[in-house]
Amino acid sequence: MSESEFSIIGQPLPSIDARVKVTGEAKYVEDLKMPGMLYGKTLRSPIAHGRILRVDTSKAKRIVGVKCVVTAKDSPRIKYGRIVADELILAEDKVRFVGDEVAAVAAVDKDTAEEAVAMIRVEYEELPAVFDPEEAMAPGAPLVHEAANNIAFKIQLSRGDVQKGLGSADIVVQERFEAPMVHPAYLEPVGCVAFYDAYGVLTVWLPFQKLFPVRSLLSRALNMPAGKIRIIQPMVGGAFGGKIDQKPPAVLSLLALKTQKPVQMVNTRDEEFIAGRGRVASKIDLTMGIKKDGTVVAKRTRVIADNGAYSSNAPATLNTMAIRPDNMYRFQNLETEAFLVYTNKLPSTAFRGFGNPQMTFALESMLDILAEKAGMDPVELRLKNVSKTGDVTAHGWKIRSGGLQECIERASREIGWKEKRGKRIPHRGLGIACMIHVSGGRTAGNFDGSSAFMKLNEDGNFDLLIGEGDIGQGARTVFAQIAAEVLHVGVHNINISVADTAMTPFCDGASASRITFVGGNAVKAAAEAVREKILDVAAEMLEASKEELLVKKGTVSVKKSEGRTASFVEIASFALNRKGGYPIMEKGTFDADDEKVHPQTRYGNYSGAYPFAAHIAEVEVDVETGKVNILNYVAAHDLGRVINPMAAEGQVFGGVAQGIGYALTEEMTFREGKITNPSFSDYKVMSAESMPPVKPIFVETIDPAGPFGAKGLGEPTLVPVPPAIANAIYDAVGVRMKTLPMTPEKILRGLEELKQKS
Amino acid sequence: MKKKVKLKVNVNGDWIDKEVDPRTTLLDFLRDHLGYTGTKRGCDEGDCGACTVLVEGKPVNSCLFLAAKAHRKKVLTIEGLQKDGKLHPLQEAFIQHGAVQCGFCTPGMILTAKALLDQNSHPTESEVRKGIAGNLCRCTGYHQIVEAILSLGGVHE
Repeated sequence: MSESEFSIIGQPLPSIDARVKVTGEAKYVEDLKMPGMLYGKTLRSPIAHGRILRVDTSKAKRIVGVKCVVTAKDSPRIKYGRIVADELILAEDKVRFVGDEVAAVAAVDKDTAEEAVAMIRVEYEELPAVFDPEEAMAPGAPLVHEAANNIAFKIQLSRGDVQKGLGSADIVVQERFEAPMVHPAYLEPVGCVAFYDAYGVLTVWLPFQKLFPVRSLLSRALNMPAGKIRIIQPMVGGAFGGKIDQKPPAVLSLLALKTQKPVQMVNTRDEEFIAGRGRVASKIDLTMGIKKDGTVVAKRTRVIADNGAYSSNAPATLNTMAIRPDNMYRFQNLETEAFLVYTNKLPSTAFRGFGNPQMTFALESMLDILAEKAGMDPVELRLKNVSKTGDVTAHGWKIRSGGLQECIERASREIGWKEKRGKRIPHRGLGIACMIHVSGGRTAGNFDGSSAFMKLNEDGNFDLLIGEGDIGQGARTVFAQIAAEVLHVGVHNINISVADTAMTPFCDGASASRITFVGGNAVKAAAEAVREKILDVAAEMLEASKEELLVKKGTVSVKKSEGRTASFVEIASFALNRKGGYPIMEKGTFDADDEKVHPQTRYGNYSGAYPFAAHIAEVEVDVETGKVNILNYVAAHDLGRVINPMAAEGQVFGGVAQGIGYALTEEMTFREGKITNPSFSDYKVMSAESMPPVKPIFVETIDPAGPFGAKGLGEPTLVPVPPAIANAIYDAVGVRMKTLPMTPEKILRGLEELKQKS
Repeated sequence: MKKKVKLKVNVNGDWIDKEVDPRTTLLDFLRDHLGYTGTKRGCDEGDCGACTVLVEGKPVNSCLFLAAKAHRKKVLTIEGLQKDGKLHPLQEAFIQHGAVQCGFCTPGMILTAKALLDQNSHPTESEVRKGIAGNLCRCTGYHQIVEAILSLGGVHE
């Protein structure tokens, strides 16, 4: 592919939203003010598990400035949920975690709302609680919901013959790997504004990732037709999976319906950690067998995952854990049993990687353990097993662009894998980890499509209407680049709408690294349709056949007849200003040829395209303090095609930073179900000072189904980070870390154990 | 009625007279009383730096800083950075280097960087990283932010 093939695709263009963001003009949800706006506040359960005996709101209601107080009685009391319907807007009979929403207040200002919440009296009968998913599975454990047991979701699957595979193995190893709940820690706390107007429409300004799925959840929870609910996305201050499904919009909608006034509610940072939903915590037991030559012959997996009190996105996350990482290698014999278990903790949900990081940590750590036992280089072992273009994996995934081998090779070259391993420096080590991900999929339903509307304005510029939204990752810029490329105009000639369920066409929204691949394909289709229409009109204007026409820089010309041209302005005007005139306005739709997986076997092609990555960390471990210092970090990504290298690099830098946090510092800690570190001073995310140098490498495999060949990138950047660092720590000091985060205390303990052994 | 205090503050070049509850933070004063919503509330407890503004040229967490303490002082928010419709070089650099993703940390980050560059016009990379260490960003991993700041006279090590 030559450099000049495209004019806009591949250019490092600044984000189209950057200017309003650097001036402070960008409006996030807390910046929205409306005349007469009220402020909402939620009353949360102080106990982990208990029966609600009585709720007395009378004192709260008497406070001057309080406009309404709602409890479960004021709600439709219909259970809802993304996959398992087990939540109510407000707790009715029981509370199930510290932070469970019990009541809410709308008042004229924030102070009054807080005062009123403090005046609501709730009597509880405390019940025995359970906090560990393994304990929750045991017979006789306290039941979180009214069911026979605490298992919220279960997956069992088998491919090939694991027993036979293990029998044929030269080396078999069994290990357990654990990862805690971590918080997406988007810098903008969850908030919303809602207003129920005299047309009977409930409008919710909500900085969430997936507006249409949220609308259907609200529709069910509020017992209102979806079309009477309008969700508009303001600027989103980061999301990372955490803003797919949370409670505040439902609670706030109740307040808005009741008061018929605009109401705003924004979480405090404390509330974010108490009830803001984090990554699914997991305990993973792996048994794997390999041949002496490094061929993996069997993998048996048992997962016990902590659902928390309600299911949210965790069932789909469990599915990802159970299946996804297997597909990056040519594994044939696989057996997985995975349990998602209710506990009396806050609900867990999606967070960048969606279950993939948990299992990738286990699998990629295990591959290094096996490589050592086989006396093989970890890079060689991986190269021996990688999936390649043309493969159909054991789970039925069709790999149509498989760049994992190239990712591994280029990352190892960049870091100097062979040279450094040949010339060892004490306490320094290298670690590699790989990953496969999706570009959209049907894990949480049978819709994975996207549509866009596009129209030509009479000034020659285009309006692009798409509801996929932008959560800060730069989706709007990528969409503008794709449309501009097709139409041969500049990015500034494309005006993009905000996502708005009343105005933009139905789509699934930001998750599963699907925006560039699925949304980008819809935009491309819309732009191509508009281009066709422009050519139809131009052909009529210029009295030429469409085949003779050339679109270039906002103008259509007849190829072999110089001077016969029509600008987009003239074409728009010609189409409009005549009898029977019409705007040039088209729709583009894309739905990947992925499959809804079989509900029992879970076999099938999950996504339209699969991105790959190989990361290598070089670390130095301080054996006195246990501190891990990352010296260098290389992240090679097969993303199909780079649409915007600057934005793509930004994804890598940011995803790796979150991954390092997951690996080394981040953990939501609990005592009796109550979070003990609900602030940024105790929950440590990476700072500018703690970040190592990161080198992104892009491998362009040009996926046959991707828009200009592009695949997803957002989540993959985080997925392999913890095992890359864990493997580097082992290489440096011989301590195998099997529990995240890999804190200095744990590493010192490991070093101590090593000493005692020797 | 709660007793109010009289306040005279220069915000972005304009002197403003207001009466406020003495407990009002500078963050609430700027956002709720004056409409300077470019100053962001990320944690309201001084941990994230999103609410950073400059008081007499020095960066402060406006969520922990009482408005009354800004009496007779000059406050600069992100809205006051551009002059005559022209962006400040830091704003331009953040755009050009891809230093902005979700943008929620951006106003505080840019103001912290301004104070840093005003003090030290040729900072090294580690000085820049140290200087902005109190401003959390969850999207960018900081690399492009550091590059943007360094592009204005900084020194690569």
